[in-house]
Amino acid sequence: MYFLYFDPGLGAMIIQAVIAAVAGVVLFSKNLMYKIKLFLGIVKEDSNDLFDDIEVDDSDIENK
Amino acid sequence: MEAKQSHTSSFRDPSGCVFTDENIVKRTINPIYFKQYNHLKDSGFFDKLFKNGLLIKHTELSSSSKEIIIQPEQISFITYPYEWSFNQYKESALLTLKLQKYCLENNLSLKDASAFNVTFHKGKAVFIDTLSFDFYLENSPWRAYKQFITHFFGPLLLAHFHGSEVLKLMSTFIDGIPVKTVASMLPFKTKLNPFLYTNIHLLAKFEDKHNEDYKGKTKSSSLSKKGQLNIIESLYDYIKKLELEEQSEWGEYYSKTNYSNDAFNLKSNIINNWIAKLKTKTIIDIGGNDGTFVRRITTKLEQALVCDIDNNAVDYNYKLIKQNKEQFIIPFVLDVLNPSAAIGFNNKERFSFLKRIKDYNPDVTLALAVIHHMSLSGNITFSMSAEFFASFSQYLIIEFPKRGDSWVERLLDSKGEFKEHFDFYNTDDFEKEYIKYFDLIEKQDIEGSKRVMYFFKTKH
Repeated sequence: MYFLYFDPGLGAMIIQAVIAAVAGVVLFSKNLMYKIKLFLGIVKEDSNDLFDDIEVDDSDIENK
Repeated sequence: MEAKQSHTSSFRDPSGCVFTDENIVKRTINPIYFKQYNHLKDSGFFDKLFKNGLLIKHTELSSSSKEIIIQPEQISFITYPYEWSFNQYKESALLTLKLQKYCLENNLSLKDASAFNVTFHKGKAVFIDTLSFDFYLENSPWRAYKQFITHFFGPLLLAHFHGSEVLKLMSTFIDGIPVKTVASMLPFKTKLNPFLYTNIHLLAKFEDKHNEDYKGKTKSSSLSKKGQLNIIESLYDYIKKLELEEQSEWGEYYSKTNYSNDAFNLKSNIINNWIAKLKTKTIIDIGGNDGTFVRRITTKLEQALVCDIDNNAVDYNYKLIKQNKEQFIIPFVLDVLNPSAAIGFNNKERFSFLKRIKDYNPDVTLALAVIHHMSLSGNITFSMSAEFFASFSQYLIIEFPKRGDSWVERLLDSKGEFKEHFDFYNTDDFEKEYIKYFDLIEKQDIEGSKRVMYFFKTKH
């Protein structure tokens, strides 16, 4: 059970299915383009970004 | 007097509340949240978050059938979203999305996505609302999605198109900038981008529509976990790449000032000497730009708050902190002529800058090349600025640019015929007024410039 202490917005709850579908297409096509560009050597894998990627790396934690 | 005081900003979530016990911040957890809390603890989820530096650490102090009390690692100075630079804001948004994705992988979900759940501590953004985690319900959409848009994505998008000043809107919209407002402020081309169209414009339309025929019933809607992950990941990718359209003018700053290298070093040496004498641990640099002078301090500081009116300068400072992996600096945006006010219910939800800095009580205040802006641009009298500086720390190191300094002359010239009104702007009048609030310990000219350094101690 969720505590409804703020209004999540009914519209926002319903529309997420549409947003997710578009997001899926966007992610898929971006990944595809990235792989093609990587293959053609137009982009290089970038490792000195200011921010990490979204993955939380817990493999090294579990080994401790 | 009661020692245990519940925190005036902690009332929204019935899961528990924050209170202070003899100046130590603690948190009670109510039975309604026991199941979640015990799961988070026993499954090792809290530990994983601590080890990854995503959530502020806490220890459990006591546990009974009525309440559990935990004590989080103390954060000495909280900054609010409307005091963050653009990239600080971005980091907070990314942290929230990262947490939600990690939650989903562990069958949990963030039940809210308020920007006030994040603050900056030890050189990075950290999540401070320990009770925001809940169980993930199979095929349910993200309840905090709209909140994420109004607290994070909307403000960041507006900043991208209109400049970082827009982020200050969060001090008015304490519950996030309404989607409709965000949509109305975005250029037309954003409607042609499917990602922005769905996340902002379509959302605004839907919210509007369902606001009218909303009869108070919570209709259920469903979304697969994969679908929700798509939303989270696409937002993450988009925000990570988001930059400001405006060009930063900052980089040129120190070359624009009228300092020779020698004078610059001399100023830095004077500060170092004075700070070393006091065995300073904490400092606030008001108008600290990108933190250049704080970084030149040789005494080992525990913490330095560095604020500036220029979002770009604060942003540059923040990037340096990230690159150098510094933990002792907290950068934030502050207009000294209009410091952050107390806002929210009873004006007690988010504290004013003055309240926070008085509680923090830094050993030393640095005010370098600020007084001429306060006096000549802001029309703040010396008496007023002295009272201000004397109110939150014991020592003040202040730089006074004299008449003849090119900046001072420029400011005076812009006053036109009212120039004479500012005849008070001279070292004699300055000293006369400051002596009412401070004892002068030392003063020193910066040779090769038209500037004087003063070292004061408050009278009280």
